[in-house]
Amino acid sequence: MALPTTASAPRPRASLGAVLWDLLTTVDHKKIGLMYAFVAFLSFAISGVLALLFRIQLWHPDNQFLTGSAFNQMITVHGAMMLFFFIIQAGLTGFGNYIVPLMLGERDVALPRVNAFSFWAFFFAVVLVTVSIFFGNVPQAGWTFYYPLSTSLGSAFYMSAILLLGVSSLLGNANFVATIYNLRAKGMTLWKMPMYVWSIFAASLLNLFTLAGLTAATMVTLLDIKLGLTLFDPALNGDPVLFQQFFWFYSHPTVYVMLLPYLGILAEIASTFARKPLFGYKAMVYAQMGIVLLGMLVWAHHMFTVGQSAIFQIAFAFTTALIAVPTGVKIFNLLGTLWGGKLVMKTPLYWVLGFIFNFLIGGITGVMLSMVPFDYHAQDSYFVVAHFHNVLMAGSGFGAFAGLYYWWPKFTGRMFDDRLGKLHFWLFLVGYLLVFIPQYFMGFLGMPRRYYTYPADVNGLIHLNQVSTIGAVVLTIGGLVWLWTMYKSLRSGPKAPANPWGGWTLEWATSSPPPPHNFDVKFPERFDSERPLYDWERQGLKPEPVDPKTIHLPNPSFWPVFTATALFVLFFGLAAFDWPNAWIWVGSLLTLAGLVGWALEPEYSHPVEHHTVTGKGQAWMGMAWFITSEIGLFAILIAGYLYLRLDGRALPPDERPELWLALVNTFFLVASSFVVHAAHHDLKEGQASPFKLGLLATIVLGVVFLGVQTYEFVTAYGHVPWTENLWMAAFFVIVGLHGLHVIIGASGLALAYLQALFGKLDRKQHGTLEAASMYWHLVDAVWLFIVVLFYVW
Amino acid sequence: MPRILWSVGATVLAIPALAHNVTILSDAPVNQEIAGLLVWVLVFSVIIFGVVAGALAYTVWKFRARPGDDELPPQVHGNDRMEIVWTLIPLLIVMVLFVLTAQTLVKLKRPVAGAMVVEAKGWQFWWDFQYPDEGLRTASELVIPVGQTVEVRITSGDVIHSFWPPSLTGKADAIPGEVNRLQFLATKPGNYYGYCAELCGDSHANMRFRILALERQDYDRFVEAYQAYTAPEPISPLEAQGKELFGAQCAACHTVKGTTARGVIGPDLSLFGLRTTLGSGVWENTPENLKRWIRDSAAMKPGSKMPTFPQLSDDDLEALTAYLYSLKLDGFDFAQLPRY
Repeated sequence: MALPTTASAPRPRASLGAVLWDLLTTVDHKKIGLMYAFVAFLSFAISGVLALLFRIQLWHPDNQFLTGSAFNQMITVHGAMMLFFFIIQAGLTGFGNYIVPLMLGERDVALPRVNAFSFWAFFFAVVLVTVSIFFGNVPQAGWTFYYPLSTSLGSAFYMSAILLLGVSSLLGNANFVATIYNLRAKGMTLWKMPMYVWSIFAASLLNLFTLAGLTAATMVTLLDIKLGLTLFDPALNGDPVLFQQFFWFYSHPTVYVMLLPYLGILAEIASTFARKPLFGYKAMVYAQMGIVLLGMLVWAHHMFTVGQSAIFQIAFAFTTALIAVPTGVKIFNLLGTLWGGKLVMKTPLYWVLGFIFNFLIGGITGVMLSMVPFDYHAQDSYFVVAHFHNVLMAGSGFGAFAGLYYWWPKFTGRMFDDRLGKLHFWLFLVGYLLVFIPQYFMGFLGMPRRYYTYPADVNGLIHLNQVSTIGAVVLTIGGLVWLWTMYKSLRSGPKAPANPWGGWTLEWATSSPPPPHNFDVKFPERFDSERPLYDWERQGLKPEPVDPKTIHLPNPSFWPVFTATALFVLFFGLAAFDWPNAWIWVGSLLTLAGLVGWALEPEYSHPVEHHTVTGKGQAWMGMAWFITSEIGLFAILIAGYLYLRLDGRALPPDERPELWLALVNTFFLVASSFVVHAAHHDLKEGQASPFKLGLLATIVLGVVFLGVQTYEFVTAYGHVPWTENLWMAAFFVIVGLHGLHVIIGASGLALAYLQALFGKLDRKQHGTLEAASMYWHLVDAVWLFIVVLFYVW
Repeated sequence: MPRILWSVGATVLAIPALAHNVTILSDAPVNQEIAGLLVWVLVFSVIIFGVVAGALAYTVWKFRARPGDDELPPQVHGNDRMEIVWTLIPLLIVMVLFVLTAQTLVKLKRPVAGAMVVEAKGWQFWWDFQYPDEGLRTASELVIPVGQTVEVRITSGDVIHSFWPPSLTGKADAIPGEVNRLQFLATKPGNYYGYCAELCGDSHANMRFRILALERQDYDRFVEAYQAYTAPEPISPLEAQGKELFGAQCAACHTVKGTTARGVIGPDLSLFGLRTTLGSGVWENTPENLKRWIRDSAAMKPGSKMPTFPQLSDDDLEALTAYLYSLKLDGFDFAQLPRY
């Protein structure tokens, strides 16, 4: 689609229907980013109100306002929404989608339709948690949903929503990494990227590497609820602590997923408002990668009280203490950036300063928590509640508001009232301190978290709680000021110039808000630092106008939202009713239909040559990174199985699945991998017929494999059901999950085959096939591990 | 570590806690060890907080843009020496803290010879205590001697709970299918507050317990008397009526030693008359509370598994109450113990 590059004349206001249709079908990273951010900040507001409600309950121990189950629902939904729907999303998928392609000087992300799909899957995950209210199934086992409490307290909707959210996050993260790897303005090397782009890169990597832990924990919990298929049940020799290992393997690293993007935002703001470059750019990048690495090695510090051996605890105390170092480096460099600058005291900078102050307290109390014997007290007490709000609310949350105010003019084209923004900041800072500083002391007085009442006769506890509740009211007033600030800006704020703050990164080199194609110009190809606009001005380099006819944007598409809706039907069926049910079947079929429609619809109206930095296709790059998460999922489940097996908990029954059958199946699967490789080769050689035949043969081999496996499963279940033997349970969970991957892989190949039949696949346009065959090789490789671990051993 | 440093530090940390009964900064040996660690962290924290917050305040005060000054400040890109300094100093600090942590951890984990063993089992929403060596069982209130290390072996009968008496020691989780150990020692007699510290359902907040620490000779006397104990025979018609009602309505779940009531699903009520609290360490053990409890425990404690007894008349409740308060050992009154 060709675009007018001049500023458009005032247009008639579009009808509501047209606006909605546009939002549903858009693949524009800016609109998607804004939708993410809207849902994220809405979640913040809603869960903030929930927090106010339970702070009111805690005003006095005799209050009967919210007790028992109602209180547990409030704290669970508050935690889950704040973490999964607000803080992970706002800085990463919200601002990230909007800003990263702009900072890279590009027109969109690597895979725009996948991006739209990610958003809608996220949206429906929120919907899924919300509709649980109507099924009397509101999550209430804490956002951590520990096993076995979660199996008895309505977590099916929550588990299902998290799995759906997982699909969304992984695709979103793979998309970010592929974008950053593949799409950068000519001349911008990795070391010249703005810090915010680095932080999105790091956070995405971390999520791709670790999300498997959450997926494993939720999946097995959901299987337990629905099928009695479990690895954790002590009645079957399973281990409830294994759940926590899975869960925290993700949920600690994700704390850094919740932090890194905001550190990136703060770095951008500090540099812009101090009128200086970043202090120690490379050190900041190294520190960030250090956090990614160490972040994966500290999870068990959430489990110091489960009774692991002293050496295990000491090891994790060590890594936990160590991670304070790179985190400190980030903060010191932030300070170094401000030091010696000329600070422009506007709202975004206030939030940065507030962040540094609060995060300092949070960091110090974090080091205290790494002192294991103290943690025996602090774990699950109000000390911990105060600590993680210190880093997440007054840390990342302040970062989210910093980013919101910083980019608000870019998003909306309007300036906001700086005095109102500052008032919002002061109310939040004071409110925050009133709520949470007393909670540190409550921890010392022995108040456990998630209590709707507390002993009235422990001196000081009531007063501390009341100060805390007063703080919540102050925060609420701050929230209202925030809403008013935004409303006033949208209604009557002055028009924003392209670069209101004098920023030096590329998002400021286009109008506010930017046109759909982002830039009307072609940038110089020389990048001397992470501040191109500063460098070019000094070098006298100027962007050149670009011929609008050469700009091509991807078409809007209905298929991402359709497919996400179909998946919602499927996941709703998984949550709401016994398995199997009509919702599951209908949802699966609709999902497949959506994918077919998607595969056959061209992404661009014109054949477009894509130049990527690496020379690899976008689909290839996206799948390569997505696959790391799949490897992680099998790795963590297999690690769990190895533990259960070696610990003597999961011993194979006498009658176990036959080796010879598995070997026959191995032959089919390995053969199919070679066949698909040869087929792909044929395609590149331009030999259409052998290619199609080869692809069909691959699919047939996959189907044969599935047929044999079905026979095997039915036989095995007939001998020893999974409810009677932990080894069989592990077998069905892991081998079954692999079977599911075979189905998904074969479906992907079938889509490529369909594209070939309709002539949509050629030497240049073969993204679907590249991605599907890579996935197929993965499925094949995993199978070899499974044969050894479940059939030979 | 110099004694003075310790007391100064402990005092500063304890300011909000000084006037209070329950605190993790108590004089129990485990807590003393932990407070010793905290003093170190306090020293470093004050330094780090002072330096960083000071630098922040100085930056805001000193480096503000003056109105009309549009010139850019010096464009400094960094300083490798600074990077090394602010990497190494924190590294040094956290390593010092880590070594202290590891030392204390190993010390606290070392099994103490001659410890007295107690088994604690968490249920939604109460604690069952057994003395395997003495052959005794209580619920919600655990009696221990002063001056002897107690090893609690903690597990759960349903979901995960966590056993935490803050004035005595840190917590350990109660996990179904596993046994977790916690060692601590009470230095003075008292009624110590305890909490379930892992979300376990609707009445997580009402799953508390008490640890009653007695002087050695009192404790020995208690054990001896309890071992020999059988429930006293009713001395009034009211108590007799209560005993009969108990046998009919309560005995399926509750045990009273020396009677036909041998239910084990619910708390052992053999010494109910000595209990300072009811509802798992939550409410004062008064007749009014007890009557409300029996009639509809879930109204007081959401999710309580004890059935309601709407069919009991006021007279019935009087009788049950009279009987339950008769279940005690002579010469003991735990209500007088100071609370921590």
